[in-house]
Amino acid sequence: MDTENTLAAPALSLLRQVTGTPLAPERLEALLAAGAPILEEIARLRTVDLADLHPAVIFEPTAAYRRAGR
Amino acid sequence: MSDDELHWASMARLRALMADGRTSSEEVTRHLLARIGALDTRLGGFVHVAEDALAQARASDRRRRRHGARALEGIPVALKDNYLTRGQPTTAGTTAAGIAFPQDADSACAERLRAAGCVLIGKTRTHEFAWGTVSPPTANPWDLERIPGGSSGGSGAAVAAGLVPMGMGSDTGGSIRIPASFCGTVGLKPTFGRVSRHGIVPHSWSLDHPGPLTRTVEDAALTLDVLAGYDPRDPACQDRPVPDHAQDLGRGVRGLRIGVIDNHFMDRNTPAVQACIDARIADLARAGARVRRARMPILELGLAAIFAIELASSGAYHDRAVAEGRSAQFQPDVRDLVELGRLVTAVDYLKAEQVRARMAEEFRQLFEQVDVIVTPTEPLTAWKRGATHVRAGDRDESVLAASWRLTYPFNLTGLPAISVPCGFDDEGMPIGLQVAARPFDEVTMLRCAATVERMMGTPRRPALG
Repeated sequence: MDTENTLAAPALSLLRQVTGTPLAPERLEALLAAGAPILEEIARLRTVDLADLHPAVIFEPTAAYRRAGR
Repeated sequence: MSDDELHWASMARLRALMADGRTSSEEVTRHLLARIGALDTRLGGFVHVAEDALAQARASDRRRRRHGARALEGIPVALKDNYLTRGQPTTAGTTAAGIAFPQDADSACAERLRAAGCVLIGKTRTHEFAWGTVSPPTANPWDLERIPGGSSGGSGAAVAAGLVPMGMGSDTGGSIRIPASFCGTVGLKPTFGRVSRHGIVPHSWSLDHPGPLTRTVEDAALTLDVLAGYDPRDPACQDRPVPDHAQDLGRGVRGLRIGVIDNHFMDRNTPAVQACIDARIADLARAGARVRRARMPILELGLAAIFAIELASSGAYHDRAVAEGRSAQFQPDVRDLVELGRLVTAVDYLKAEQVRARMAEEFRQLFEQVDVIVTPTEPLTAWKRGATHVRAGDRDESVLAASWRLTYPFNLTGLPAISVPCGFDDEGMPIGLQVAARPFDEVTMLRCAATVERMMGTPRRPALG
């Protein structure tokens, strides 16, 4: 992440736009530096192929009805 | 009743003493309020003590005389400061302006504890929004220069110091079990969906678990009896029968199949922790348990998965606070974690949920061969205040990464897990042993934990004066 830690202003601007973060460019730059180890850890997820696996997120269309007792 | 008897008595013991008329809720509550007043300026476990605690206790005594006792009649308990509690303030550990929580409603757990007759004596300190592991400025009762663990550090310190027999915690990556291990208490995280999260300030919706910190396994079982059950206000809460969680506490472990996962859980611990856990596993085998060793490579991706899920969830919950600039008032570590949430992509989030599905399946397969899994709760004992990195095994780690490494697998999988004291290191700091079980099989988990507790004999107490 070292190169991203010193992103040029246009790159920071693009990152702000794409992620929708309201943080000021200088705060975003500081956050990228502070959070680099965590973001590197998350990036490990991109190295594994899990395409055949349903994620542990289940949409339950009847939940609203169950909560309403119907 | 001597002072020592009153403040070190378990909930089960207090219940028996009150039933026999040897003490009253008012006497116990008055004593604990005095002890909180005397010791908590040094410990910092409480952020609020209920003005009406004695009135609650007197009302409980009157009710006992007129109508008999409910399950936990008259027993003083505390709630972590992220549980809404009627008549008491809730801050979730934040002082940021513009963030307030209602004081006129109870969380589901507060409701159930009240309905069981408990005296809600006060609120215990949490790391801001239940992030983090140090619960500043709470001290560890075993060494005031050390952290108590977190984020339920206030409950851990208060229970370990004899200020209260039970304190509620919440556990998103280990926040009940970490302070339990560091403070030498029992800490129980039930199965996801066993206890309602209604009225707890959310941290990460699919990872948050409510549960108790106590001084005995029996008290954890008695508390779970009261807390467990369906609540339609929590979309994840499951409508299942609630067993008597204490039914097998005295059964021992003969014939029990114990799993030990050698990678991840047993390969990067301090020598003191490793020796202690190895000794307890050998004790369990001598007591008749059958030990099966296993490996689970998917655990290598657990940290990535929980970071992605927790940061994205916390980022979503606090999105308005970030947008309006209020997150700038959060503690620096919490602010970083919350604001990083926007940088987790949807693809990374869903890949984390795929890792989670794989991990749940691999644990399910292991549970075809074993009844419980035993691990250390923590790879090390409580560290000195101010440390940002620690060494356990062959590498330095951030305190966050080290402290939840052995606990978060059971948040990702929603499996029940408990920490029970199992020894001390050379510096006199407690070590915890973690027992996990199949979903909704808390009874077997508690059976194993109770056996470990009996092996340890009379518990040591911190010297606090």
